[in-house]
Amino acid sequence: MTRLRAEGVTLGYDDQAIVTNLDVEIPDGRVTAIVGANACGKSTLLRGLARLLKPSHGAVYLDGKALNGMSTHDVARALGLLPQTPTAPDGITVADLVARGRYPHQGWFRRWTDRDDDAVSRALDATGTADLVDRPLRQLSGGQRQRVWVAMALAQDTDLLLLDEPTTYLDINHQVELLRLLRKLNAESGKTIVAVLHDLNLACRFSDHVIAMADGAVVAEGVPAAVITAELVEKVFGLACVVVPDPVAGTPMVVPS
Amino acid sequence: MSSSAPVARRASALGPGLAALCVLLALVAFLSVTLGSRSIGLPEVLRALGGLDQDGSITSTVTLELRVPRTLLGVLVGAALGVAGAILQGVTRNPLADAGIMGVNSGAAVFVVIAITVLGVRGAEVYVWFAFAGAIAALVLVYAIASLGREGATPVKLALAGAAVTAGLVSVTSGIVMTDVDALNELRFWQVGSLAGRYAPILAGVAPFLVIALIASLGFGRALNGLALGDDMARGLGQRVTRTRTAAFAVVAVLAGAATAACGPIVFVGLVVPHLARFICGPDYRWILPYSMLLAPIVLLLADVLGRVVAAPDELQVGVVLGVLGAPAFVGIVRYGRLSEA
Amino acid sequence: MAATSTAPSAGAFRATRRRRAARSLVVTVSLAVAVVALFVLTMMVGSFRLGADEVVASVLHLRDDPSVDFVVRGLRLPTAASALAVGLALGAAGTIFQQLLRNPLASPDFVGINSGAGLAAITGIVLLQAGGLVVSGLALAGAAVAALLMYVLAWRDGVAGYRFILIGIGTTLFFDGLTGYMLTRAQLSDARQAMHWLTGSVGQAGDGELRLLLGAVLLLLPTAVLLQRQLRALELGDDTARALGIRTELGRAGLLATAVALTALAVAVAGPIVFVALVAGPIANRLLGPATGGIVPAALAGAALLLTADLIAVHLLPTPLPTGVVTGAVGAPYLLWLLATTNRQGAGG
Repeated sequence: MTRLRAEGVTLGYDDQAIVTNLDVEIPDGRVTAIVGANACGKSTLLRGLARLLKPSHGAVYLDGKALNGMSTHDVARALGLLPQTPTAPDGITVADLVARGRYPHQGWFRRWTDRDDDAVSRALDATGTADLVDRPLRQLSGGQRQRVWVAMALAQDTDLLLLDEPTTYLDINHQVELLRLLRKLNAESGKTIVAVLHDLNLACRFSDHVIAMADGAVVAEGVPAAVITAELVEKVFGLACVVVPDPVAGTPMVVPS
Repeated sequence: MSSSAPVARRASALGPGLAALCVLLALVAFLSVTLGSRSIGLPEVLRALGGLDQDGSITSTVTLELRVPRTLLGVLVGAALGVAGAILQGVTRNPLADAGIMGVNSGAAVFVVIAITVLGVRGAEVYVWFAFAGAIAALVLVYAIASLGREGATPVKLALAGAAVTAGLVSVTSGIVMTDVDALNELRFWQVGSLAGRYAPILAGVAPFLVIALIASLGFGRALNGLALGDDMARGLGQRVTRTRTAAFAVVAVLAGAATAACGPIVFVGLVVPHLARFICGPDYRWILPYSMLLAPIVLLLADVLGRVVAAPDELQVGVVLGVLGAPAFVGIVRYGRLSEA
Repeated sequence: MAATSTAPSAGAFRATRRRRAARSLVVTVSLAVAVVALFVLTMMVGSFRLGADEVVASVLHLRDDPSVDFVVRGLRLPTAASALAVGLALGAAGTIFQQLLRNPLASPDFVGINSGAGLAAITGIVLLQAGGLVVSGLALAGAAVAALLMYVLAWRDGVAGYRFILIGIGTTLFFDGLTGYMLTRAQLSDARQAMHWLTGSVGQAGDGELRLLLGAVLLLLPTAVLLQRQLRALELGDDTARALGIRTELGRAGLLATAVALTALAVAVAGPIVFVALVAGPIANRLLGPATGGIVPAALAGAALLLTADLIAVHLLPTPLPTGVVTGAVGAPYLLWLLATTNRQGAGG
């Protein structure tokens, strides 16, 4: 039994179901990538797993308890999230932003403690943003900014971390840098990481587990090498292709035919 | 393009639609001439208009000096506000752009008050010119403020800049009228668009501006269709974006300025009517502009007639009627229209 | 769970944080000192000049001097206290609105609340020939109804900031139109009284309203400070806030209710004074530097502003004018500057 799983969930907006009756288990301590064509329900599933969307049927379970029955505070201490397009107030500095990741560990009257300092500093170090603390977020490059947002989610100090398309708007160098960072976090502290990813090749290269979705349903899941085949890509993306081993890592690589 | 057939069919339905609206407008205009605290029948109207009845009777005086100019003014001002709203929404790609929201009223009010207290001016015929100038000044100011910055004049920025400039100008206005009771008295009647019977001279004053600007505005259809695709795309299609935008804005300033000067603050018409037109004819500005030009005076005259009938023997100013009826429409657009969050 | 060894940059971050806390404390204390000084100063000047010691002694009941007590406690203290309380309330409410709606222009003056209060109060003055407490009560009710109406109309699967702003502006237009109509129905003298009320002045408060506002400020300011954590999370967007364990709709409703109550009471006491709520937060932020967004500094900045505006309106102008004229005349240029600068950074929303 894994810590985070969805059972028969139907998710959608305004009575329009996008994901219907879906079962999924997120393997603990692994990096999971959710892939699929545009509008296949990847982000919707992630939002459901993160409790941002309430399922109209079924439930998401965290440690065996239905997510929607839990207090927001408890969920936030177990499960961190980086939304697709996070917004920040004007003029906020990196230190201030990352420190806000500690909110789940504070109460109405509980003051800031040394443990909070430690958690924030660890998050800054892990993401290589420690020397940016005094800079306003707006002055950073796209790649730096994304690392700062990851640092905020890390400061939350959760075992599970969900990221919605964290590599969008990043160039190839920063995409790889960010995915390496996620791998490192997983290797060093055993965090369970779930990310919605657009780039199939990067998903294969950096994840242990792939969930391929089409039309609001899971089409295939498992180890990238077993899941990503030419038939699957044809079926999910409608793209005729050949799948060859990545020359560096040996993971599947999709080449359009 | 494969869609040319349905477009052609729609055009063939939209042409007669336009003609039908003309008939409807004539009908409403007739209502506006006949209905009021004193009802006047069709024969009297025709006789008065035909000059057969120049015996100085009350009926003919009311018809010729009050009702007819008032109705004509309503038609022109309505058309101006409708077209100004449609162009503004097209130029700014902002479904909530409207001269009223952009502070024309407070600008006009400040200039009128300054004219009264500082220059000692009296009489609605003279206020018109000050209101005209003030309205244009406020419009330019608000647009300039809102379009600062990378993303240009977004709905929220435009609305807030309008609201903020209004607040600033209103406090200047009230500062002045607090020290000058006469100005207060004149202002409060100007402000609800009550012209107390001096329609004819005002009509004569603003009509040339309105007519010329209205005719000019009809030429913007194609340019607005291009702008609707975004500046870059419009440029790619060979438009001179800055020049188009400046020209369109100048026309809007004349239309909205003259309309506000003539009738006082009339909100929501310019906002809601273009949406109605877009609902009927789709996204093509070559049709939206003439439809707005006909629909807006119909709405305005109906509101005017309603104000006369509901509160008889008194009358509710058209600005008040439209404020009350327009607010729910505005809320509807905000709630259900597809507004971008920006 | 991550290892609990101390991170290499822990010291550096702690130093940054402490520096920031220290600056915030210094700014807050300086603002408080400035507010107290202005508070005393407004009671010193006038046709009957008094020393600071006399004012303080009289206010604190330390010395008995009937003539000084009459001038200070009877005449000047109510105005000064109302400027103080109104300023605090508007400053706090303004910054809450701006942060919650994520827009530096979204202060309660512009989004519906003031005009709701205005319409109700003017209707009272014109139709019922009301004055004093009745007008204040009507204004309070008008503001509350306007806020509730806006919240309901903007609600669609939760309240999005931009929708709330636009609905607020639509509501303002609607109410202002009706207010204009009311003014034409009025006798000229009533219209003048109505205009005076609409401009807003701290000198017009009655004893009862003032006491109510002071009590509310004492109760609501701490509430706002308690809710500050929610506010800071909501600033990051709903998704992030929820991921941080904040109950977003509840937090937003609580913050809005607090800000609306503060605004409504301030308007009931002093009329719709513009721009204080808009300007107080940004001024405080400028002083605070990187650690922006404090509600208490913003409230203090609001009080300092309003006390200054009242000093100018009553003592420096050739004819005494309502406070709102001064705040409007000063606020408008500031607003233009604010729009010009924030928008250049592409953050004007």
